[in-house]
Amino acid sequence: MLEIKDLHVKLADEDREILKGLTLTIPKGEVHAIMGPNGSGKSTLAYVLAGRDGYEVTSGDILWDGESILEMEPEERAAKGVFLAFQYPMEIPGVAGFTFLRTAVNAVRKARGLPELSTPDFMKFVKAKAERLNINTDMLKRPVNVGFSGGEKKRAEILQMEVLEPTLCVLDETDSGLDIDALRIVSDGVNSMRSPERAMLVITHYQRLLNHIVPDRVHVMVDGKIRKSGDASLAKELEKSGYAEYQSKAA
Amino acid sequence: MNVAVLKTKAEQALSEAFSGAAAELPGSSEIRKLRLDAMGRFGALGLPHRRVEEWKYTDLRNLVKEVLPAPAASKGVSVADIEAALGALAGLEAHRVVFVDGRYEPDLSALVANEDVSAASLATLLDNDTSAVELLDVSGRDDDAVLALNTAYAADGSVVDIAPLATLDKPVLLVFVRASETPAFVAVRNVLRVGEGAIATVIEAHVTLPKAARDFQLNAATKVIVGKGAKLGHVKVALEAGGGVHLSNWLTELGPDADYAGFHFTASTGLARNQVAVTFAGEDARIDLSGAFLAREGQHIDTTLVVDHAVPKCVSRELFKGVLEDHARGVFQGKVIVRPDAQKTDGKQMAQVLMLSPDCEFDSKPELEIYADDVVCGHGSTSADIDDDLVFYCRSRGIPEAEARALLIESFIGEALEKVEHEGLRDALGELAHNWLRRIEPARSVA
Ligand SMILES: Nc1ncnc2c1ncn2[C@@H]1O[C@H](COP(=O)(O)OP(=O)(O)OP(=O)(O)O)[C@@H](O)[C@H]1O
Ligand SMILES: [Mg+2]
Repeated sequence: MLEIKDLHVKLADEDREILKGLTLTIPKGEVHAIMGPNGSGKSTLAYVLAGRDGYEVTSGDILWDGESILEMEPEERAAKGVFLAFQYPMEIPGVAGFTFLRTAVNAVRKARGLPELSTPDFMKFVKAKAERLNINTDMLKRPVNVGFSGGEKKRAEILQMEVLEPTLCVLDETDSGLDIDALRIVSDGVNSMRSPERAMLVITHYQRLLNHIVPDRVHVMVDGKIRKSGDASLAKELEKSGYAEYQSKAA
Repeated sequence: MNVAVLKTKAEQALSEAFSGAAAELPGSSEIRKLRLDAMGRFGALGLPHRRVEEWKYTDLRNLVKEVLPAPAASKGVSVADIEAALGALAGLEAHRVVFVDGRYEPDLSALVANEDVSAASLATLLDNDTSAVELLDVSGRDDDAVLALNTAYAADGSVVDIAPLATLDKPVLLVFVRASETPAFVAVRNVLRVGEGAIATVIEAHVTLPKAARDFQLNAATKVIVGKGAKLGHVKVALEAGGGVHLSNWLTELGPDADYAGFHFTASTGLARNQVAVTFAGEDARIDLSGAFLAREGQHIDTTLVVDHAVPKCVSRELFKGVLEDHARGVFQGKVIVRPDAQKTDGKQMAQVLMLSPDCEFDSKPELEIYADDVVCGHGSTSADIDDDLVFYCRSRGIPEAEARALLIESFIGEALEKVEHEGLRDALGELAHNWLRRIEPARSVA
């Protein structure tokens, strides 16, 4: 279970609070969605979960599997099953996709006490998953994300997620930039990972994604706080009414 | 030049040792005279120091305080020892020619001369061939004291001839192994002659046996003559490990329409100076000089290039990438001369370093001397640290920080390695860089 308790986060080198007492619980086996206006702090929450520098948790806690992850390095969190699909995946010139994936998979396996995969086993493992996401293996010979289209980058993120086999999946606007077919392919990928062992947090602006990945709960985040939670129908409501109601409440 | 300079201890020792060494050095009386003249020039010039413009950042007089004796006789070096010392390069399919402490070792070599390629021992040629004087001759570069020392002291080396129109099936790998258990001074001179229209790759690999002394002084020079329309990939790999001094000089002359790709891979040499001088002797020739240098602790790696566009319509490209850790120092000097006649010259130069510690230092001095008006020339130099956002991206995928950094540095270096055309060699260099970044020492891990 993911438990975020009254989390306050400010920028490390600026006196500006971004998350202002955010509380959220996602039991394993569930998919929760967060929607909210631009700048409300959704990506900040995702980064703080993954352990990015530049943010300071001033109070509150984040527990995963009953254990606080706040003091853990990003790679320790990854080993514990935390995965963030970035809103803006980064390009790594000069590092081939396969090399990157193999390094990551073996690092995580090592940390989880599993034997490393041999190169042929690894290739088989990745190729099968890449095919299902419609990712050409030639793309994986190229440097990570370099020269990829926006949609290709998002699919590559999902491939990383699938091969790393995380238990807490955070997807930050994975749907933006995807065409209709890619949206379905990515959603199928995400749905295939739904399991009683996994918790997922899907950040999105569009209700359409939630037709494919039907969430157990939907949360509305405005100005660094969850303002309302509900079932999947809340997303449909938001689609019609927008955030005005919550923003006035926040002000 | 003021001849009455106060000699340093090292300079005196080099001059004095020569009279003893001269009798042992190969060569006819004509060659003896050449050596003696060279020693005379060295005596006048002395070791280069910081007030000599080209040596501003590498003050040899100050860095080399004493001169090491000749190597102790090395006994029982085996092919297996060589393999271990070569590390990632051992797997390379190549015509192998081995030198131990600067002396040719036919028993460890595996080059069968054929109609396409031959590699003779310089010592043998100097003793037996009256025309061999040109092998040592470096007239026109009389002001280079390090080269003068090389001419005076070079006892052996490889003279590689590639026949016109030959396309070599595999690279020629010249292996220079450091074996002496006592610190030693070694001078080698190589000559590469690539016939018209021939295609070849020649590698000079400087490696170390596990038991060799840490300290050493190497003075190596290679004369390269690339014939009309010929194509040569010329790569030096310096992996001597240790606190020694590695002074290297490449003198390359290109015929018309020749294609020359020179590459320097230098890792962890105490003090290295890689000097390359290229002269275009015919139109439409192309050069690509590139390299990767990796230095940590107090290591100092200097790359000094002089590209002389003496004729029109030639193309030059230079890309050097360095990684500096601790208080290491990198030097890059790239001089491009475009003579008045050399219209339509196209030259581009770039030097980039990753500075991984606040204590390291990088001195970059591009010098464009352009006397023609219809030319395209450019240069650039950057120094940076690793991108923290990329480090985080890797770590968020479970890759530990040190590994993430190594991966990113490798990718930075990779861009230079891409310049090496031979795939097996490129991969081997990639592995050497990979190991260096993770502090895996090939020679020692096998032993
Ligand atoms: N590293 C940072 N430096 C400066 N400001 C930041 C930083 N990270 C976040 N912010 C600010 O914090 C606020 C929340 O940003 P965040 O990216 O979390 O919003 P978001 O909800 O993901 O928005 P969007 O829907 O546009 O993706 C914004 O005002 C943003 O400018
Ligand atoms: Mg965002």
